[in-house]
Amino acid sequence: MADKDRIPPWRHTGSRRRLLLLTIVLIPTIISANTMARLLPDRGSILLDTFLVAVFTTLFAWISVGFWTSIAGLVILLTKRDSFRVSRACDGLDFSIADPAARTAILIPVYNEDVKRVIAGLRTTFASVRQTGSMKRFDFFLLSDTTDPDVWIEEEEAWYRFCKEEDAFGRVFYRKRTSNTKRKSGNVADFCRRWGKSYRYMAVFDADSIMSGETLVRLVQIMEARPDIGILQTPPKAVNRETLIARVQQFANHVYGPLLAAGLHFWQLGDAQYCGHNAILRVEPFIKHCELPRLPGKGPLSGDILSHDYVESALMCRAGYGIWLTYDLRGSWEETPPTLIDELKRDRRWCQGNLQHTRLLFTRGFFPAHRALFINGILSYGSALLWMAFLIVNSAQAISEALFEPVYMPILRKFLPELPVWRPHWAVSLLGSTTLLLFLPKFLGALPILLADFRARLYGGKIRLFFSILVEVVLSMILTPIRMVFHSLFVISTLLGKSVGWGTQSRDDRGTTWREAFLAHWWGSLLGICWATVVYLIIPSFFWWISPITFSLALSVPISVFTGRAAVGRFFRKAGLFLIPEEVDRPPELAVLDENLNMPAPYTPFPFSRKQGFLRAVVDPLVHGLHTSLLLRFRRGAPSKEHSREKIVEKALASGPDSLTRKEKTALLRAPHHLRELHRKVWRLGDDDAAARWGLVPPEKE
Amino acid sequence: MNFSAEYPAPSPADVTPAQRAARDRVMLYIRGLDLPPSKGLRLAARSMEEEPSSPGEGMDALELLLDKEGLLPGLPGERGQNIPSFPPLNRSVMVAEEMDRVPWRTSFFRFLRRWRRELFGRGK
Repeated sequence: MADKDRIPPWRHTGSRRRLLLLTIVLIPTIISANTMARLLPDRGSILLDTFLVAVFTTLFAWISVGFWTSIAGLVILLTKRDSFRVSRACDGLDFSIADPAARTAILIPVYNEDVKRVIAGLRTTFASVRQTGSMKRFDFFLLSDTTDPDVWIEEEEAWYRFCKEEDAFGRVFYRKRTSNTKRKSGNVADFCRRWGKSYRYMAVFDADSIMSGETLVRLVQIMEARPDIGILQTPPKAVNRETLIARVQQFANHVYGPLLAAGLHFWQLGDAQYCGHNAILRVEPFIKHCELPRLPGKGPLSGDILSHDYVESALMCRAGYGIWLTYDLRGSWEETPPTLIDELKRDRRWCQGNLQHTRLLFTRGFFPAHRALFINGILSYGSALLWMAFLIVNSAQAISEALFEPVYMPILRKFLPELPVWRPHWAVSLLGSTTLLLFLPKFLGALPILLADFRARLYGGKIRLFFSILVEVVLSMILTPIRMVFHSLFVISTLLGKSVGWGTQSRDDRGTTWREAFLAHWWGSLLGICWATVVYLIIPSFFWWISPITFSLALSVPISVFTGRAAVGRFFRKAGLFLIPEEVDRPPELAVLDENLNMPAPYTPFPFSRKQGFLRAVVDPLVHGLHTSLLLRFRRGAPSKEHSREKIVEKALASGPDSLTRKEKTALLRAPHHLRELHRKVWRLGDDDAAARWGLVPPEKE
Repeated sequence: MNFSAEYPAPSPADVTPAQRAARDRVMLYIRGLDLPPSKGLRLAARSMEEEPSSPGEGMDALELLLDKEGLLPGLPGERGQNIPSFPPLNRSVMVAEEMDRVPWRTSFFRFLRRWRRELFGRGK
């Protein structure tokens, strides 16, 4: 049990380190802000200049934090000296967990996911845990919040088949929630309320997460050795994508990620953040202290807390427990969004979640480190708006200087004119320092790789590694303006209470069609074209300065399509670019995942797809039997409800399964008696056309 | 020439469309149950013994046989029992802790409460 009143020694060290970070960020920021202020034209508006300097200062400080984090991470990785490394608690241990009461629940919350991928991931992690010999200490929970009735049935059948094949009954469980209260955090909280007391730890996964058994055992061993730790976060590695944009993200995650993770650990120590997945949590304090309230009021900054992970880590810390990042533990993987549009859909949710944290900044009891993390999250999206405002105001200023005559004698009583002074060396040094802060860490990321293996074999060789970093830098510069406008839109629309509606995020490499790209990006392209045109017509010399931004925006549509193509990604892979170790030297877990994804589909005599879950629940006798037996409550509903369900059965019999709405299908799936009645009547249909709608007529007869 | 020999005479073994439909329906259900082949075919044959003239009659006959054999796909395992897809409940309470998001509003009152505690001992 953590002692809230006793200050652990690492907290003193962490505070001193963060004070150092504040100093080395603030001093250059103040110098740069002063330089910026003196670079601005003297005859400009004071208000505008103040705005530009304030925005520049914020952005400069923001990128400085990232720079110094990478430097700190580099020092740790090169010197390999870290007295606060949490993984030393399991150095020299085998893969066993001594205490039989140290049981861990592995939670896989799912919401309308690709069931085949989820089960393949589950099968992979399950097999890996089994190989460690510590299977008795782990249970697996598929926690479903699925609202799609077809996917619901697919999940049930997949779980049952998995348990039968792997003899996993009593080890792997499936729970379907009837209501989606508080989304993922509510899903996990529901598990805690029902079964939390039976487990000491819980490892939370995403639908696409994979963790090796060894890593899971190590995490438990560390938690056992360190009762002061509330949450232990691993840095997952991005893998398994083929589109260009996803491969670039994977590469960046592998090359720069370790630097950032080690650096974050250096500054944060036990005040790290929880990312919501690929982490292990201590259940008892989580139940006691980490339930999230609803934020009062109306609008997008109210209601359920969307980015629950940051808040849960702040609450856990407030309760006296540490949140640590095991930057050196491997065996933790995830998948990135496959296209730019999918990435932006995800960012839309995250933006709203992070902006909600503005209402939690001053919460009593939160540590300054976690308030700083909230600010960091807010600036992740707010900085885009600031940057866009900076560029627009800059362009407006350049245009106004071209359109309006300069006033050299602003005050008539002065005898000498105020001539503009151009200080090119200041501008160059400011540009240079900003460029250094942004791009040097990317090249420094190669150093630990070269030290570990000078040939950089796992990245395709030294030359390919550096060339990949160069191309990644160029691609980032092309994609950043597009992200900037979208993030700005997200921030503005969230603050105004408007939603930017999009469908669900895709988790496969199907790519972006030209139509999808046009519908998503047309306005950004129009903005880029208009911006470039206005600047070119009025002040052509400024046009080339702003061209990296305007060209990217104008070409948003083709950029979105081509970066989302798996064929383009595969071309780069063939050329040996953006290679990651998992592609060159496939870890056993990922090799097993590949096999699991290619397992043949199980036998079915019915002509319809496995994805038509509702149809299978009505027609397929085995699926029907499984589903009705999994429904706990066999109570009949109120007469009005029973009557409405009877009506749905009649409608289904008369017009077939496609005539039912999603709500009607779900209502029937929750009523085993009516489902049974429908099953019997469908199998007795005499009319060929009616029977064909349910897949009961052989194909040649149709 | 004997014309009658060229065309086969109608035979009582000819299957009507309704019987065909009944047969196909029963066979599909048996295949759906994925029973061992000999057992499945035996059940199908027995359900066809009464020459059902519609899919409904065929399914009624099959259902009776499946019920007798304990193979009716209602509930795997013993009839009336559910498959537990999750372990027995072990309930606990999870309640949101206080999150004072505007501490400056209550800071004065908290100060007064602390002062009172220090002056007069622990309050209620």
